[in-house]
Amino acid sequence: EPLTYDISRRPSNSVEEEPKRNKNKLVSLPSLQAIKQEASQFKMLTVSVKWQKKVFEGIEIDVSLPPYVFKAQLYDLTGVPPERQKIMVKGGLLKDDADWSSIGVKDGQKLMMMGTADEVVKAPEKAIVFAEDLPEEEQATNLGYSAGLVNLGNTCYMNSTVQCLKSVPELKSALSNYSLAGRSNDVDQTSHMLTVATRELFGDLDRSVNAVSPTQFWMVLRKKFPQFSQLQNGMHMQQDAEECWTQLLYTLSQSLKAPTSSEDSDAVKALFGVNLRSRVHCQESGEESSETESVYSLKCHISHEVNHLHEGLKHGLKGELEKTSPALGRTAVYLKESLIDSLPRYLTVQFVRFFWKRETNQKAKILRKVDYPLELDIYDLCSEELRKKLEAPRQKLRDEEGKKLGLQTKSSSKDGDVKMTDAEAPSNESGESSTAAQQEGASSSEKGTHMTGIYDLVSVLTHKGRSADSGHYVAWVKQESGKWIQYDDSYPSVQREEDITKLSGGGDWHMAYIIMYKARFVSM
Amino acid sequence: MAPGPDPNSVGDGAKRDEATTKVPSKEPKKKDDKKEEDLSEEDLQLKQNLELYVERAKDPNPELQKAALESMRQEIRASTSSMTSVPKPLKFLRPHYGTLKEFHKNMGESDLKKLLADILSVLALTMSAEGQRESLGYRLTGSEGDIGSWGHEYVRNLAGEIAEEYTVRQGEEASIEDLMDLVQQIVAFHMKHNAETEAVDLLMDVEDLDLLLEHVDRTNFRRTCNYLTSAAKYLPGPDDMLVLDIAYMIYIKFEEYPNALQIALFLDNMQYVKQVFTSCTDLLRKKQFCYMISRHGITFELDPEMVENDVDREMLQDIVNNTKLSEGYLTLARDIEVMEAKTPEDIYKAHLLDGRASSGPSADSARQNLAATFVNAFVNAGFGQDKLMTVPSDSTSGSAGNWLFKNKEHGKTSAAASLGMILLWDVDAGLTHLDKYFHSNDNPIIAGALLGVGIVNCGIKNDCDPALALLGEYIDKEDSSVRIGAIMGLGIAYAGSQNDQIRSSLSPVLNDAKAPLDVIAFAALSLGMIYVGSCNEEVAQSIIFALMDRSEAELGEALTRFLPLGLGLLYLGKQESVEATAEVSKTFNEKIRKYCDMTLLSCAYAGTGNVLKVQDLLAQCGEHLEKGDIHQGPAVLGLAMVAMSEELGLDMAIRSLERVLQYGEQNVRRAVPLALGLLCISNPKVTVMDTLSRLSHDTDSEVAMSAIVSLGLIGAGTNNARIAGMLRNLSSYYYKDASLLFCVRIAQGLVHMGKGLLTLSPFHSERLLLSPTALAGIVTLLHACLDMKSIILGKYHYVLYFLVLAMQPRMMLTVDENLKPISVPVRVGQAVDVVGQAGRPKTITGFQTHSTPVLLAAGERAELATDKYIPLSPILEGFIILKENPDYREE
Repeated sequence: EPLTYDISRRPSNSVEEEPKRNKNKLVSLPSLQAIKQEASQFKMLTVSVKWQKKVFEGIEIDVSLPPYVFKAQLYDLTGVPPERQKIMVKGGLLKDDADWSSIGVKDGQKLMMMGTADEVVKAPEKAIVFAEDLPEEEQATNLGYSAGLVNLGNTCYMNSTVQCLKSVPELKSALSNYSLAGRSNDVDQTSHMLTVATRELFGDLDRSVNAVSPTQFWMVLRKKFPQFSQLQNGMHMQQDAEECWTQLLYTLSQSLKAPTSSEDSDAVKALFGVNLRSRVHCQESGEESSETESVYSLKCHISHEVNHLHEGLKHGLKGELEKTSPALGRTAVYLKESLIDSLPRYLTVQFVRFFWKRETNQKAKILRKVDYPLELDIYDLCSEELRKKLEAPRQKLRDEEGKKLGLQTKSSSKDGDVKMTDAEAPSNESGESSTAAQQEGASSSEKGTHMTGIYDLVSVLTHKGRSADSGHYVAWVKQESGKWIQYDDSYPSVQREEDITKLSGGGDWHMAYIIMYKARFVSM
Repeated sequence: MAPGPDPNSVGDGAKRDEATTKVPSKEPKKKDDKKEEDLSEEDLQLKQNLELYVERAKDPNPELQKAALESMRQEIRASTSSMTSVPKPLKFLRPHYGTLKEFHKNMGESDLKKLLADILSVLALTMSAEGQRESLGYRLTGSEGDIGSWGHEYVRNLAGEIAEEYTVRQGEEASIEDLMDLVQQIVAFHMKHNAETEAVDLLMDVEDLDLLLEHVDRTNFRRTCNYLTSAAKYLPGPDDMLVLDIAYMIYIKFEEYPNALQIALFLDNMQYVKQVFTSCTDLLRKKQFCYMISRHGITFELDPEMVENDVDREMLQDIVNNTKLSEGYLTLARDIEVMEAKTPEDIYKAHLLDGRASSGPSADSARQNLAATFVNAFVNAGFGQDKLMTVPSDSTSGSAGNWLFKNKEHGKTSAAASLGMILLWDVDAGLTHLDKYFHSNDNPIIAGALLGVGIVNCGIKNDCDPALALLGEYIDKEDSSVRIGAIMGLGIAYAGSQNDQIRSSLSPVLNDAKAPLDVIAFAALSLGMIYVGSCNEEVAQSIIFALMDRSEAELGEALTRFLPLGLGLLYLGKQESVEATAEVSKTFNEKIRKYCDMTLLSCAYAGTGNVLKVQDLLAQCGEHLEKGDIHQGPAVLGLAMVAMSEELGLDMAIRSLERVLQYGEQNVRRAVPLALGLLCISNPKVTVMDTLSRLSHDTDSEVAMSAIVSLGLIGAGTNNARIAGMLRNLSSYYYKDASLLFCVRIAQGLVHMGKGLLTLSPFHSERLLLSPTALAGIVTLLHACLDMKSIILGKYHYVLYFLVLAMQPRMMLTVDENLKPISVPVRVGQAVDVVGQAGRPKTITGFQTHSTPVLLAAGERAELATDKYIPLSPILEGFIILKENPDYREE
């Protein structure tokens, strides 16, 4: 007669440590006592059961009772509930209601049991979201950098330029504000189209995972600047990336200068423009004049003395020119010395690596190695006024850095210095801030942040090869995450920061042609 | 490599004759006049004497004649003993060869005529024109005296002529009795004089190797058998079998049972295997035989005739069933101190690349997690512990469950099955770990659990048949992923077992009209594995019907390729036996016909080195086809399968594949890296490595994928630093391409498989034996790789687990008489080919001394560095039982 068998009253001779189980669980079974009594009257089989690494010897099976009873015996020994037990007999699993005689278990046979009382695996409540399931845009952001550009046939000059400029978020936002309505009348149709194409291309790059084909942009670019359509052997020729860069920026500055666009008159100029104040001096006549100009990039002239960017820049700001001297009434040599009057958010430096070589009739390249730093300080290239303006923010920056390095103790002793400059600073600021805001436009219009004259490298456009119209252009761009990505047309790849400074030339490796620095600000 | 044993030594002999006969034919005319003056006094004397003998030989007086001939013979014998140039007596007698010949012809039958015939036979050595075989002719009419008395060169020449004569007589169906007498003499002479190879060559030429048995003795049987087994590789069937038969008999005769067993296994002749057991009476040696059988991976049942005692038999059967493999492997792992579990990140070593590791992608990528699952499974294979799947799951976070669910849909199948790989060979623990997944309500997880059971039982047999018991009832379940899990699990667990019970449950699946294609494909494949190399007609019929029932559209599916493959596996290495089935396959739909044809051909001749088949397959690869034809892939793989058996053929195949790569069509190029991977599996040859490295950057992404996977295959289980570096760079190069990156990850997992303790090479026992199940596993994976995108990169990635069939520890583990591991010093070095070399040459070079257990790399051989023990098998691989040397004395 079936009884309710409380498993907690299990005989104490159980083997091994007590298996984990729910002690209050009740299993409906015939009483073990009853089984044993009956067993004596019928034929008994003795088997051994292997479970995990243990072997339970001499387990008796009463062949007149269904195998479920046998499983209950095993439950006692192993703690595995019968429904979780899998007992392997020749050719299959032991069914609860099978007939022992048909299974053919022999006396002394070894059986094997599989089963655990382990918890059954359950899926986590919060389903895991896989990258593959995300929409394409999110996959792109997931990677941490944007897509490459397909080379449409010698268009690496264009691709690398676009990649470098794309790294300027302010330019992107200015472009996104640009709309058809904002188009002023003095912007011609092609410039407008190019601006729109640029905006679209930047958008595509951000959205896509795979390389983008800049077909539309390229068409418009060639329409605007027919010189890029030059053919050679039926192919489009390699072009000078610097020309592409300059022309593109110029176009953008024209179209983004729309008067309707609210705060800043010229977004591009505000971002990239460098105001230079030059003193033109003629030694012969002693004439001296001063002029100002605005440029989008500084030139790093490469001569035999130049080993470092800084020297090149200095060199580039000094120049001789011949012009008619009104005093002498003839052409005379003038010395032109320029200093920076206002700083851009993004400082572009072009290495003047190419020069026209008459013998070979091509733009030849200077392979000289010119080192450039990841962090550029152009304080000594600035004009006096600008320097004064920069002093306070620079001091602040120094202090902050000092703090970071744990030099707090020292800063107290320097208090005097700080105060002195502090005292000076307000007067400067009050006097200049209004004009500065106008001059520099967006750059320091945000209240509280100030230029420091210190710049961080953000992108490098390199050239590999011996002449400007051949070889290969590649862009190396620092991402917001701090990773450097090399955009070799359609293949972006991650690079190490220390490898970026190795693009300084002196061999046949990629060498920097145009580099871009981003201003470091300090909030005060 | 030693000079290749040349079955065509007839040709060789002929060349030698040519050389010796041509030169003299010119010389006499030019130099005869001068010579007179140049000769030294001694030579002149000799010359005059000989001329006198020639003159006297023609004398009518028989006494005088006899004396002359005797002296002539004396002179010749005295000089032929060493031979670097034509001996003087022969040289001086040359002008008289014609006259003596003439004289001999006219002589009446007498002893003297025979004596003269003997002399002429020797003279013919240098004088006989090619193809005349005069030396032999005179020898047969001669006095039949001791053949060796004329010197070694004479015997060699004679052997060559016999071979020629034999062919001629075979053509004319003439009697060869007289020749065989001579052969007897020659063989006896060769065998006594360290020229076993020549004796064997001669006997092979006259097709009577049985004679060898009479002539081998303790001193030369090893060299003889060594030569026979090596020569077998270059012989066309069925001669190769014949030669090995003889070798087997010789080994049995001299009670060299391990070698005999090796050959029995090579011949796949269970009768012979049984005979080895019945001939040997020593229980300990029988244990060693069991280890050898278990390494070969065949199913073998011991009966009371082989081992009388029940207890002993059970213990021996346990060894055959591989139940101790896990233990031995872990002993090795502990000794080498690599028990610590490794994570996929430990393998990727991303920190060596750049700062990428720190800022990885934020969301889990299912593809990359799947790759990590496989890497984790391969790397920790057999160790019983890892850091993703076996970590104890605590109830709150349940990290084991966690990793499983970091795999998507069908990915969970591979993840659950990876437990089987981690606990490989340890059935008890494996089943315990897998149990919880059986109760899941998620079909892919159940499928993975089923597959995992199959994997954990791979190569292990058990009386309770746990795999069959557990998986059997899932074959006919509703969900096809569960069905595939069960079917594939059975295929892996019972590969080579020819289990009828499984056949009767799988065959109906094949011919079930309602079953989906993928289930049918895996059923065919599993049947092919279970009946690998059995030529079972019923299974063949089922698969053939299944193939015929497929619709046009289904024949275009990627998975359909498993049907012909399953069929091919039935005939793996069985050569002509495939012909009937190949004939039937010609009636198939043309979409699959050629594919089937190539697969059958390549499987049937796999590992045979059959040159004609290699040529057939090469011709197929060279054709330029229209698009859509896919049979060239298996043809390229077949090339590798056929040629992989011996070094020479292997090198030639590698060279041929380079050509194919340059001139072949795209679908051929895609298969070439895989073929290279098969040829050098777990044997990273630098040239192949370079080729694959180049191809891994190929513009065709499928070529690149195959190349990357193959880099993994050739480096499988080697931890090869160069390949690891290549793959690391590839992982950065293909960072953005999920498919290629997946392949790179898989390859990285393979290179560090079993933390470098495993090999995938199907060859073992000094590259003599080819494990059919291992080869079946690799070939299946390679066929799947032919369409990487739809199979491995699709939802059938778990076919990667077929590799488990080939996974074996590349170890040498010494055990004592109680089968407990003991450590002894051994020398491990590059194996040297000693075939056909006289004396006792060194068998390894550049060796280092280690203590066991040791790892053996491809092409390495071990030898005991102590006399304290005697190994019970001359082939020091796998488990080796050591017996104490009774004659050993401590110094």
